[in-house]
Amino acid sequence: MATKSTDRDKALYALAENWFRQQQWKPFPFQTKAWKTFLEGKHGLLNAPTGSGKTYALWFPIVLQYLKDNPDYKNKHPKGLKAIWITPLRALSLEIKQSAERVIRDLGTPLTVGIRSGDTSTKERAQQKRNMPDLLITTPESLQLLLASKGYDKQFRNCSAIVVDEWHELLGTKRGVQMELGLSRLKTVAPQLRIWGISATIGNLEQAREVLLGPASKALENSVLIRASIPKKIKVQSIIPDKMDNFPWRGHLGLHLMEDVVPIIERSRTTLLFTNTRGQCEIWYQRLLEKHPELAGLMAMHHGSIGKETRIWVEEAIRDERLKAVVCTSSLDLGVDFAPVETVVQIGGPKGVARFMQRAGRSGHRPGEESVIYFLPTHALELVEASALKKAVETQTVEDRLPFLYSYDVLLQYLTTLAVSDGFVPGEIFHEVRGTFCFQDLPEEQWQWLLNFLVMGSQSLKSYDEYKKVEVEDGIFKVTNRGVAMRHRLQIGTIVSDAQISVKYQKGGYIGTIEESFISKLKPGDVFTFAGRTLEFLRVKEMQAMVRNSRSKSTKTPSWMGGRLTLTSQMSELLREALYTAGEPVDQQTEEIRALESLFKRQRKESIVPKPSEFLIETFKTRDGYHHLFYPFEGRFVHEAMGSLLSYRISLLNPITFSLAFNDYGFELLSDQPIDMQQVLDNDLFTIEYMHEDLQNSLNSTEMARRKFRDIAVISGMVFTGYPNKGIKMKHLQSNSQLLFDVFRDYEPENLLFQQAFRETFEHQLEEGRLRMALERIAEQEVVWKDCKQPTPLSFPIITDGLREKLSSEKLADRIQRMIAKLQK
Amino acid sequence: MTRSLPIQQSNFELHPSGALYWVDQSMLLISDVHLGKVSHFRKYGAAVPQNAIAANFRLLDATVQDFHPEKICFLGDLFHSYLNGEWELFSEWVSKVKSEIILIAGNHDIISPLKYEGLGIKVVPELVIGQFLLTHHPEEREGLFNFAGHIHPAVKIRGQGRQSMRLPCFFKSPRQMILPAFGTFTGMHTLEQKNEDEVFAIAEDQVIKL
Repeated sequence: MATKSTDRDKALYALAENWFRQQQWKPFPFQTKAWKTFLEGKHGLLNAPTGSGKTYALWFPIVLQYLKDNPDYKNKHPKGLKAIWITPLRALSLEIKQSAERVIRDLGTPLTVGIRSGDTSTKERAQQKRNMPDLLITTPESLQLLLASKGYDKQFRNCSAIVVDEWHELLGTKRGVQMELGLSRLKTVAPQLRIWGISATIGNLEQAREVLLGPASKALENSVLIRASIPKKIKVQSIIPDKMDNFPWRGHLGLHLMEDVVPIIERSRTTLLFTNTRGQCEIWYQRLLEKHPELAGLMAMHHGSIGKETRIWVEEAIRDERLKAVVCTSSLDLGVDFAPVETVVQIGGPKGVARFMQRAGRSGHRPGEESVIYFLPTHALELVEASALKKAVETQTVEDRLPFLYSYDVLLQYLTTLAVSDGFVPGEIFHEVRGTFCFQDLPEEQWQWLLNFLVMGSQSLKSYDEYKKVEVEDGIFKVTNRGVAMRHRLQIGTIVSDAQISVKYQKGGYIGTIEESFISKLKPGDVFTFAGRTLEFLRVKEMQAMVRNSRSKSTKTPSWMGGRLTLTSQMSELLREALYTAGEPVDQQTEEIRALESLFKRQRKESIVPKPSEFLIETFKTRDGYHHLFYPFEGRFVHEAMGSLLSYRISLLNPITFSLAFNDYGFELLSDQPIDMQQVLDNDLFTIEYMHEDLQNSLNSTEMARRKFRDIAVISGMVFTGYPNKGIKMKHLQSNSQLLFDVFRDYEPENLLFQQAFRETFEHQLEEGRLRMALERIAEQEVVWKDCKQPTPLSFPIITDGLREKLSSEKLADRIQRMIAKLQK
Repeated sequence: MTRSLPIQQSNFELHPSGALYWVDQSMLLISDVHLGKVSHFRKYGAAVPQNAIAANFRLLDATVQDFHPEKICFLGDLFHSYLNGEWELFSEWVSKVKSEIILIAGNHDIISPLKYEGLGIKVVPELVIGQFLLTHHPEEREGLFNFAGHIHPAVKIRGQGRQSMRLPCFFKSPRQMILPAFGTFTGMHTLEQKNEDEVFAIAEDQVIKL
């Protein structure tokens, strides 16, 4: 029997190999290995870069398995779902579908492929429900929605494979947790299910496999990790300004170097320009067109807020080589090949080696061909980052993606989902949930807490309470109220953003969606740029912003949050090393560091460029107040933690109020009073003793947890954001998560969701472990404290940063009195 | 700690709860309590802490204790929604309070006036007492000084060292005073202070003039 099946498998591989031969391709070893192990019934994680043929590595065995199971498929084709392909970006689904259809068609099978995502019409959904396609391409959110429909277990019963594409993108996010939970259910309802992930290179691939399959699970035991190991040469070329004198010291849009980009665009077939925010993307597009009208019609813009039709049009135009340049954001990070792309330009620091390499990989697609990526610094110090990036690319130093632990908000959402469809029996689900990485060893009493929360909205029943969500009937937890079910379905998803408003022409025509917070700042008649158009704002009507085209010079560009990523520890180390070479002989410096000589000279006028043995502190006074700067070069998150730790400890010495700012180089404590720096040093305030306790206390005095709570409140269903696209108004249920945070702090601080906000800050944002190591390193260094007359070049990007954290040990009334006194002076 | 403030030759006390006591009339003015809001959210599956409900009544009790007013006048948005469980708590509270209660109906007050009358509460669209006009929505009327709510006013204070904070406040312009929202689950709206405005911010247990 065993040999027979092997023979049969061999015949199947031959089918696949023949296909490759017909395309005049040769399968990569990783592809054949994936086919083989898949057909052996194994689960796995495939580590392969974009553009390497990873989709064929898994579509083939899925189709081959079908042929194996149904030798008589031509006469007897069993209906129903056979495989699911999960993609984090719905924009990618079309390409994945095309590659699946190619395999299906060429192998002569009758399989059907369908897409189900937020873009799928209601009519199509209904059709799918009656008759599922054989192969389904969908997003993590849409998969949850399927779990929210009645009789979902029957839909999945005969599903034999699920592929989670771009798993690295999901891993460090709550969408990853959502995926873990979904998989834990599918394992039970689809007993033949094989689970496969595809991931780009990250530091913790082994862990990525464990999270996908479940720690200590049978699936993990019976799994493989396949590495594609396709050598890819990446060349990083910095765009260095001719004259450093006029080059800005602080973060900007990078427009100073726009003219240097034009020849790069002209030289190559298609160039992708990656920006870090959608706002920056808009401005670059606008300015390039203004200065170079010859690019009109040859240039496009692509970011997540632009309407789907436009995005698809742009993607197709890239493929058909109709465009010379596309200004984009991370929205084009992922996906299948864009063959005509020859060149990639990164504007501003990418804040992540994996991301940078992935973007570089967008160019020069033929195997063995060198990928070139241009790095365009937006301010002087980013050249140090460029130098570090080069090194990182050379040594393949990529970051880890840390999985979340104990995300109660996602779990509550998931449990409500199950309650909405067929209801759930806690005993059964608890077992599955504990099998996930996120909720391994979840204590029984916390589980009970969560169940109470779902049913009673708290831990005890009060007579006047009318809380309504999940009800218990014969031991089954279910939602019976149609309103609750409908609101929950609309709310499924864990990517939280500001409430979205659709932007529409008054005469009709959808342009895209935009954050409500931006629209709320506009007055009728204001002109703004969006989706590359200059638009006049008319009014908001039923969650839609009505606009018309305008000819006036644009005044406002939407600013989107996001894009504030942090450096990993490895990358921070490379950054420090790059900076330390400032003191080395010129011939040992990279061109980027050499270009910074004039800036270092300015820095040395009043301060120093620190050597490896030195820890630099700078103090000076400006109109804003007393600035105290510290430079550990440990990346933003460590600085955020260290800044709040240090300010907390200082605030214990005297009542004082700080505003804190950070970047990847250091942090600033700004106050209306000077700190006695000698006292800080004498009291050994950088000690690792009591670090944990102090950090925890400092959190209570800052706003970090408050920001984390925003997502938690939405995901767990306590804040309803409303659905502009669906035209559903829920005004009476919209509340502000900040208000909710205050109410929890004052009246229910023991609530697990409230506590989660603090824990997330600790584990995900503050990276306590790294903080400890950083403090240990500082203890070995010599402190150099420079009292300067004015801001130094190193300090400049930090002190001009507007996004600040606060910490105060003063009494509120005292603080106000002093603020008033200062104002009246 | 309250703060005295004479307005148009009448004496008033600003209370850190956000209530305003009219000394000469022995009348307590309270705006935007939004009772029933927590329950409304809970009814729709948003688990806002239940304790915030009881806290509203505790605050009401404590404030009434401080003045023992003859009359309590709610400047609208007393009840946030349709009838729900909190109405029972409210009826209970009313039965214990000795003062006469008047409600100036706000946009949220959609519960039938008959229900209020059943509790002995008079519901009126507005009230004129001497040269004072009491309304829910701020209004300007010739010859009258207006007390109103609706806005949930807050003020943003900025200081040296890029410090800033937002606090609920009594917002007084030459012919009007807007009271802060009294309720525990209400939110705030920041107003810009102009030269002729006087702003009294609430900082914990104090009322501070800015």
